[in-house]
Amino acid sequence: MAVSIKYYTNRFLAFTILIIMAIWALLFYAFLMDEVYDNVDDGLKNQKIEIIREAYNNPSIIEDNKVYGINQFRILPTQDHKDLDKNHFSREFMYMPYDEEDEPYRILRTGFYSKDGKAYQLEIRTSTVEEDDYLINLAISLLVLYLVIVLSILVINYFVMSRAWKPFKQILANLSLYRFGHAKSFTPVQTQVKEFEELNTRVLQMIDRNEQVFEGQKRFLENASHELQTPLAITIGKLDLILQDDHLTEQQLVKIADAKQSLHRMVALNKSLLMLSRIDNNQYSQIEDVNFNERMKRLLDDFEDMIQYKGIQVDLEETGTFSSRCNLELVDILLSNLLRNAIKHNVQDGTIAISMDSQKLQIANSSQSGALNPDYIFQRFHKGNQDSQSSGLGLSIVQSILEKYTALHISYQYEDGLQIFRIYQ
Amino acid sequence: MKILIIEDEIALLQTMEEFLRAENFLIETANDYPSGLEKAMNYAYDCILLDIMLPGGSGLSILKALKEEHRKQPVLILSAKDAVEDKVLGLEIGADDYLAKPFHLAELLARIKAIIRRNAQQGESMLQYKNIQIDPDNRQVIVGETEINFNRKEYDLFYYFMLRPNKLMEKTSLIESVWGDHTDQADNLDFIYSQIKNIRKKLRDAAAEVDIQAVYGVGYKLV
Repeated sequence: MAVSIKYYTNRFLAFTILIIMAIWALLFYAFLMDEVYDNVDDGLKNQKIEIIREAYNNPSIIEDNKVYGINQFRILPTQDHKDLDKNHFSREFMYMPYDEEDEPYRILRTGFYSKDGKAYQLEIRTSTVEEDDYLINLAISLLVLYLVIVLSILVINYFVMSRAWKPFKQILANLSLYRFGHAKSFTPVQTQVKEFEELNTRVLQMIDRNEQVFEGQKRFLENASHELQTPLAITIGKLDLILQDDHLTEQQLVKIADAKQSLHRMVALNKSLLMLSRIDNNQYSQIEDVNFNERMKRLLDDFEDMIQYKGIQVDLEETGTFSSRCNLELVDILLSNLLRNAIKHNVQDGTIAISMDSQKLQIANSSQSGALNPDYIFQRFHKGNQDSQSSGLGLSIVQSILEKYTALHISYQYEDGLQIFRIYQ
Repeated sequence: MKILIIEDEIALLQTMEEFLRAENFLIETANDYPSGLEKAMNYAYDCILLDIMLPGGSGLSILKALKEEHRKQPVLILSAKDAVEDKVLGLEIGADDYLAKPFHLAELLARIKAIIRRNAQQGESMLQYKNIQIDPDNRQVIVGETEINFNRKEYDLFYYFMLRPNKLMEKTSLIESVWGDHTDQADNLDFIYSQIKNIRKKLRDAAAEVDIQAVYGVGYKLV
């Protein structure tokens, strides 16, 4: 799962800090304890010297200190042996009445000879650090420190990162506004951050390259279509001349007419492609307030013969005026493509219901086929089941036109056996 | 009737020349900018067919030169560039009409005749065949003494037939001429059949000596 960069570093930081603090705590503990014992031991050694000196001057203390009393040492007779005067440090638990439990003591064990040459063992003790308590206290304070650090990092990260990544978010937002074929639709973001500046530059370069390729493709399409016009014109003209010949047999005549008709399909396809590239190239730039109701009625008039021939019943319902700022010619192409589809894919004696108000324009027609796949119908060269004659460009021209006018949208629906196309603002 | 064709595609030029000669026009041709300009400026024609993209210059420049010299030569622009601005520009400079390539030759003829008619004196423009007369200025069809009431589409259709009696008129070119841009090859073109039927009935009722014959499903012919 993807996490925001704001949180992405946090888990690493939290983990790393934990490890660093643990190692630091161990070292700290070891050094501190070492220093503490060093100090304590020095004190004990000092005491030892003072006690032995006193025992030498005043042998009675040897007898008076057989147990630990207020003096915190004891002297016991012992066997003489080689390492008698060596220092042995140890840590032992002894009962401490104040705490009512055993507490750690540092004990120095050593030996000396009294004035009269007898060997004695000397034990000096001093209360020392309770290591486990100390450890727990250390752990608790470190934990608190750890939490405070991690929380601070979280908070700082959150605010600082949000601020620092603002240009990035802006770049993302601007990128989502970018539309292919409109180089100007991406606005670079002003930023002091070097990386984002670079991102800006790279994005701009990429868009530039894409636009160039796109331009090239569009120009290719337009040029190719243009170049096809002349040979088509020549071929069709020559066939026209042959058709004028009265000596042709029926078979020849029909074949030539068929050939010519096929060429005209090519002409129509060519025209559609040219129109698409012209729409994409913004060659229909003159904008005016177009009354769609008026255009629709005019087109219905133009299509009247075809409508009548198919016996189609047209219901026109106007509850308002649908108008928008568009190019008049494109509106005519848009509406006539939709209307032509509604006629072409209709059944004999079918219906076309057109309703218009200020917000939407709807064309619903009875049809031979069931629901169309809305994912494909606007694609270029997508063909329905039954028509081999259509170029498959009509609806994609509609789509291209509507892409020019972002205020207008189209939807398709199949309902109660009716194909419904709806344009709304 | 004299026509100048300025067109650099030789094959297309020859096609138009052959077709228009068969329609009894006198044809002169030019296939580049200098010769086109020279002929257009020095001789009078009833109509000039002008291609826009010519070797040596633009057809629009020839058109401009004609207008600057105030030479009244009717011009029909023929262009492969079916671009809106070309069309607008051409008509603004003063062309009489604009026809995008490729076109039906029948359509070319109709446009030429319309241009010639508009530029001709009143009365010279009547079309006559057998006992039928058409007055294009008033859109009237007269059989003998009586006028036939054709509706708009019927008149347009019949006018095309009258331009070329006894010649095969293809369904597709008739439809493209009369119904214009709103049809394409994908449409069912049979609807023209009912229009023809109405025209035939009206012609019969008016005792016209002409009739429209179907030619093998390819088209129709006025006889």
